[in-house]
Amino acid sequence: MNEAITETVAEPAQTDETVILKVNQVSRRFGGLVAVNNVSFSVQEGEIFGLIGPNGAGKTTLFNVITGLIPASSGNLIYKGENITRRSPHRIASKGIARTFQNIRLFGNLTALENVMIARHVHGRAGILSGVFGLPAARNEERATQQRALELLNLVGLGNRADENARNFAYGDQRRVEIARALALDPTLLLLDEPAAGMNSNEKADLSQFIRELRHRFNLTIVLIEHHVPLVMGLCDRIAVLDFGLLIALGDPAKVQNDPGVIEAYLGAE
Amino acid sequence: MAEFFATYGFLIVSMVLAAVLALSLYVPLMAGQLSLASPGFYALGGYITAVMSTKMLTYDSETFPIPFVLLEMLVAGLACGVLALIVGIPALRLRGIYLALATIAFVEIVRVLALNLEITGGAIGIFGIPQPFNTQIEYLWVAGPLLLITMLFVYRLERIRAGRAFLAIREDELAADAMGIDPTTNKVLAFTMGAILAGVVGALSAHFINTWNARQGTFDASIALLAFVLIGGSRTFLGPVVGGMALTALPEILRTLSGAGSLPAWLGEFMKDGRFIIFGVLLVIGTVFLPHGFIGPNLFSGSRGRKESRPLP
Amino acid sequence: MTFTQFLQQLLNGLSIGSVYAIFALGYTLVFSILGVINFAHGAVFTLGAYFTYTLMGGVFSFNGLLANASVPVELPFALALIMGALLAGLMGVLIERVAFRPLRKRGADPLLSLVSSLGIAIMIPNLIQYLVGAEIYTFPASAYGGLPAAINFGTIENPVPVRSTQVVIFAVSVVILVILTYLIGYTRFGKALRAVAEDATTASLLGINTDRYILLTFFLSGFLGGVAGTLVGSSVSIAGPYFGLAFGLKGLAVIVLGGLGSIPGAVVAGLVIGLAEAFVPSQYSGYKDAVAFAILFIVLLVRPRGLFGRTLLQKV
Repeated sequence: MNEAITETVAEPAQTDETVILKVNQVSRRFGGLVAVNNVSFSVQEGEIFGLIGPNGAGKTTLFNVITGLIPASSGNLIYKGENITRRSPHRIASKGIARTFQNIRLFGNLTALENVMIARHVHGRAGILSGVFGLPAARNEERATQQRALELLNLVGLGNRADENARNFAYGDQRRVEIARALALDPTLLLLDEPAAGMNSNEKADLSQFIRELRHRFNLTIVLIEHHVPLVMGLCDRIAVLDFGLLIALGDPAKVQNDPGVIEAYLGAE
Repeated sequence: MAEFFATYGFLIVSMVLAAVLALSLYVPLMAGQLSLASPGFYALGGYITAVMSTKMLTYDSETFPIPFVLLEMLVAGLACGVLALIVGIPALRLRGIYLALATIAFVEIVRVLALNLEITGGAIGIFGIPQPFNTQIEYLWVAGPLLLITMLFVYRLERIRAGRAFLAIREDELAADAMGIDPTTNKVLAFTMGAILAGVVGALSAHFINTWNARQGTFDASIALLAFVLIGGSRTFLGPVVGGMALTALPEILRTLSGAGSLPAWLGEFMKDGRFIIFGVLLVIGTVFLPHGFIGPNLFSGSRGRKESRPLP
Repeated sequence: MTFTQFLQQLLNGLSIGSVYAIFALGYTLVFSILGVINFAHGAVFTLGAYFTYTLMGGVFSFNGLLANASVPVELPFALALIMGALLAGLMGVLIERVAFRPLRKRGADPLLSLVSSLGIAIMIPNLIQYLVGAEIYTFPASAYGGLPAAINFGTIENPVPVRSTQVVIFAVSVVILVILTYLIGYTRFGKALRAVAEDATTASLLGINTDRYILLTFFLSGFLGGVAGTLVGSSVSIAGPYFGLAFGLKGLAVIVLGGLGSIPGAVVAGLVIGLAEAFVPSQYSGYKDAVAFAILFIVLLVRPRGLFGRTLLQKV
């Protein structure tokens, strides 16, 4: 069994102002099973942070805890200095944390455009009555929402298919719509759960580049869960490794790659 | 012409009112909520009218003044809105099934209260509710605009931010939550809108039917409404309208035809007593054979005007 | 209230409560194995009562398609009860086949089976009305055999008479509950049932024929509903085809209070609601029917998972 890391000794010096997300001794238990075990790390503003580990290591569960879909059993989460530990998902989203899902959760019977527009909800102000009556403020807002959504769809290369139902898209394209949707939230922190799943190596390279561009263009901090180790090593500034819910390595790609515990965890799994 | 309206006036207005009631079920359904509460709010709306018009309002003219009718509808709508918040908020925090249960309980409580309270006339109900019109067809002056306004409202709702939030919740509540949409608030909103609609219909119906008692608005009625929405098609808001009208008219039409000898007599008799059997059968067949069911997916697909989604130049 | 009255109310409450418990267990069994509520359960309750009435030689009146019909048998109560309940069980199976199985095979949203069972719920009472009219049918006065009208639970000086119907109901319910507990807790059948309820996929991988167990569960559920319907129908009367509706709805209040899917919950909650109804002061007796639903609301407000329910986690 690997030793859990409980201190962040190896991390470069961080001031609190630059830490976007602080995961503080977070655990999540399901009955007798401990899915996330006392995990701590900080994510710096502007970095691309990787979260890797064998299947079932607790990565998605951690995402779910961070975004409020599942409550933490213990520990806390500090986002931009604010404690978001017990907040509801929509509150957390409105504060600027957006995500994609491992199993893609698009609104299948709505169009791609509608999917992306929906994520603009928190940025809208028009009430029902002004919307229904088509008052100018509401109409303008609606127009702006559509515009922004279309821009984002164009960004992921799907602008020409804005009016198709999301369920009719191929798997890879659905992933792209999901990313556009997450971006529509105007997030500060973007969580991507296995964005490269089902892609071939060319597509993965494109995705890597795309993620870098996203960070630059939207001033994002990105945390991504990924299985494909080379992709992560090439893309991420720092990486955290989970195994059986425990954090077993944390640091830059070179360090993590050579960590014996990590090698064992992956050799054991694959 | 006048004779046609005299014979079919009741049916026509009933069809229109049924369409609005079906829409009162459709709105919560847009947010994925199966509410069986409409009959309860319908009953409440009717009682408000019945009590107000027989015990509280006085008037000089021969017929009951129409502005009073509108006032009653307003009061009924508000009362039902408030009550919907009380019923809805506890239930809508929880899984979908709990709303169905809570609304069933609500309808039953209303029924028992109606049977026992003095103000509602107990088991006998309230009789002799004043009429704002001399003939039944004239109710269309109020019912017609009510339906049109409601249809317009729902049509617009589907195309604006608030309506999209409902649809998102219906499609995937968790994902909607993660995208910044508060499920509980929106579900309560959808539920409340449905309640207000049902209450307003009830308020008008009490005048229309002339008496009101605990047999208005029952569990059977909830299920009949479900059939309206299901059979009419839940692809767009037009579905409940068509379903409500068709399923109200069909038994009557068949009965008339069988009376005139065009159809066997037993079918006519069956239509009179057995319409609920048919609704039940339709519900079972509808849910089993419709390709994607009706509550989950398929409330929307291409039939809506896609052109509005194109960006403005 | 005197002590005698108190005791009488208590026994009345336990008696009707035990029927609520039996009936609610029908809901619970289906819910624990499929995760859905079978809204047609109240209809099966009604059918059970009508079946038993017929089997005891009851005659139907002049309304309806089967006017003045009767079946040329006249079984004693116990036998009629069992047979009526068996028939109700078969109806349960039929309902599963028609309204639940096709949706399950399609992987449809569970809320849809709710709707289709609602369709059945509205169909059956109306069908009954169409066939035999809406009259009130009472069981023959000597339904239970040679029992006296009331049984004394007290002493000669301080008699506490309780209607023998209440006693019979309670006794039958207890017997059924004991058998059911044994069946579910200690037999192979029960173990398999619980396995399917816990995790249907794994159970089928272990070679358990889940379809068959679901079918058996519906049979059992229908049987319980039929027993409850017969007990109520025979002790009070069959107040028309809708007499199962109110009961069916109250059963929902019972399972919400007890916790959806919890067997002990259904039993305890059934008794609680039965007692709550029994102790409603007589001047408010008209509101008795609303007690169960008021309780349902309070439970939703205060403790949604009920007395014994588990909080179910949503899959993300």
